[in-house]
Amino acid sequence: MAHAGVVTATEERTAPALPGGYAGRLLRVDLGSGRTWSEPWAPEDMRVYLGGAGLGAKVLWEEVPPEAHWDHPENRLVLATGPFAGLPVWGTGGLTVVTRGAMTDGATSTQANGFFGANLKVSGYDAIVIQGQAPAWVYLYVHGDQVELRDATGLLGKDTWETQDALNAELGYSGHMLSVYSIGPAGENLVRFAAIQGDYGHVASKNGVGAVMGKKRLKAVAIVRGTRAIRAADPRGVIAAADEIAYDLKTNPAARTLYEYGTLPGVVNLHGLGALPIKNYTTSVAPPGVDMKQWEAPALRNGFDHRGHQCSACGMHHCHMQVLPSGKYKGQIVDEPEYEGWSGAGWTIGLTDPVAVSWLNTQIDRACVDVNEFGWLCGWVMECQEKGYITERDLGFRLTWGDAEGANRLLQMINRREGMGDLLAEGVKIAAERRGGPAAECAIYTGKNASPRGHDHRARWDELLDTCTGSTGTLETGPPVFPTELGLPARINPFDPDQVARQVAALNGRRHFEDSLGACIFTTRTHVELLARALSAATGWEWTRDEAMRFGRRVGAIFRAFNLRCGIGTDREWPSKRYGSVPVDGPAQGQAIEKHWDHMLDVWYEGMGYDRRTGRPKPETLEALGLGWMIPAVWGQEAARK
Amino acid sequence: VTTRSAPPIAVLVEVLSWVNKFVGGPGTGEIALTEEVERGATVRAVLRQVTDRHPELERALWDPDRPRELGDNIEVMVNNAVLGVSHDLDSELLNGDRITLLGQYMGGAWWDA
Repeated sequence: MAHAGVVTATEERTAPALPGGYAGRLLRVDLGSGRTWSEPWAPEDMRVYLGGAGLGAKVLWEEVPPEAHWDHPENRLVLATGPFAGLPVWGTGGLTVVTRGAMTDGATSTQANGFFGANLKVSGYDAIVIQGQAPAWVYLYVHGDQVELRDATGLLGKDTWETQDALNAELGYSGHMLSVYSIGPAGENLVRFAAIQGDYGHVASKNGVGAVMGKKRLKAVAIVRGTRAIRAADPRGVIAAADEIAYDLKTNPAARTLYEYGTLPGVVNLHGLGALPIKNYTTSVAPPGVDMKQWEAPALRNGFDHRGHQCSACGMHHCHMQVLPSGKYKGQIVDEPEYEGWSGAGWTIGLTDPVAVSWLNTQIDRACVDVNEFGWLCGWVMECQEKGYITERDLGFRLTWGDAEGANRLLQMINRREGMGDLLAEGVKIAAERRGGPAAECAIYTGKNASPRGHDHRARWDELLDTCTGSTGTLETGPPVFPTELGLPARINPFDPDQVARQVAALNGRRHFEDSLGACIFTTRTHVELLARALSAATGWEWTRDEAMRFGRRVGAIFRAFNLRCGIGTDREWPSKRYGSVPVDGPAQGQAIEKHWDHMLDVWYEGMGYDRRTGRPKPETLEALGLGWMIPAVWGQEAARK
Repeated sequence: VTTRSAPPIAVLVEVLSWVNKFVGGPGTGEIALTEEVERGATVRAVLRQVTDRHPELERALWDPDRPRELGDNIEVMVNNAVLGVSHDLDSELLNGDRITLLGQYMGGAWWDA
């Protein structure tokens, strides 16, 4: 007979074999009691939930009751990898953060990259699941089986880069031996759109995950790169599939731009489509005097002294650090902005000097808020000041379009909740609604309080619909990636409500699959077929493209059911007046989504297999996704009996 | 009796940013091609005329499995509007119309990195 706490040889022999790609354990942390423990998870659960977003969805559904709002100790903060983490597939060092987020008070799935995921996996864990609230500020230190909650008093007030510097110095590490994900002052002060940042420039930014971490009084998680081996079921197969994915990324005409320049080409491309958000959606055309040639990807990269800042196992020419070449902060090292940095810290607020945008973007990362929400908020304040809806006296200073120093001043007010910053720290929806009057009509937000991504979605109806209906506080389906692979048309009329709604519904699932692999969302810009092949080789299971999509839709249905249980229903699926307004100029001029909105929802619901009135996944949909066991919870016992 | 055929028309094809690598450009800025075509020529005919001269662009623009259809990779605009709004592939063009080829944008949509 086995003794409690002792694993006998018999038990080890009879334990189910671990599939390749997994460490097999979750690291559990209860901040309230200070207890940490590791917990095995079953191979059959790995098959169903994979990791990342899938695992997080399972934890939310099973462990976070409706009364545990985002700021409740019983809320869970899941930092998860997936079966690719640590394997030689490009971009497999990241993590997916899943929690009940502060913006929507509903489910969140948001990822960041760097080295955290790989470090965690080779430390022997597939994910960290954090619960409770610490009585005093702590950070979590993981060094293999040594797991400690340590005093973080000395880290308070530090921004995210300073926090990583301090922990490197304190713990005696450098380079990528220590991966640190932390919150900045914004998270400490429960700014509702606070983010979690790590490894100097990688941000899990959506839905206020940093506020959740702050509420738990967890300043940082620091993981020393472990020494455990990761087994793949078919190592040769993994390497072959990884090579195919890399080749696809390097040579496919669509992915090649990401391979060469990351997301930098977005500024010029989206401007060409009328989808670059300029001055809080008041125009879609670059102002006179702005030379768009300086916004081409090569100019943005080569306009700075730059160095590659690759993530674990990544061969993309994507992430970079750069040196500011001129201006007040000349010589400072900053993170090369992603497209959304150029838009949120730049175009959205009328700032079109790349050097100033680059500087401001890093200030936002260091203070640690979502750059999209900051852009909508700052742009709203700028427009309201211009129109006299928010006075200089209200704010404490004059803030005009394109004022980088002023934007940073606003950022610091928000971080510390000083003056009007206390209201603005709630995000633009709440601030605008409380302000009321004509100011409210200028704000860009959704009924669920999901922050729109850094685009002008009035020219991308697919993303507007996705943002309003999605269950993760951000895009749930995302833009089409090789839609022909799934039997869908290569292109649709982006202003045809039927085509758009059908496509958004049909593509749903891919994103959740990608977010469950432990891989970067950009290195998965390849064909699902190749990802499924790599997953099969890693785990030893047979994965197909259809199974991958079905898996993703399963995860989406769990998130939706979770949100409905939290009271987030169909009545919140709408864009704000400005967000759904008609562009006054540019390529999308005159395109009006509002008159089509109800019809688009009808088509989308039909395509998703969700009930239009209640928003619930239909029983037959749940059955088809392997979620028949959820029917009683979603529809009641009687429906289950039918 | 002599018949005079209608004079040709000129259509401007702008190849922007990284797409212009496929027509021998640097992958930045704009390369403008003036295409002389018969009156009544369609968007498809003009694009075919260009891709016949540039095999790399042909591979990138058209669907390899369905050669009459566009592939996943490049966005096509006519007079500043994406295909489907005012023109489709079989719409006739007028003298002075402008076709723009722009890279499809797949990135930056959900992660600040």
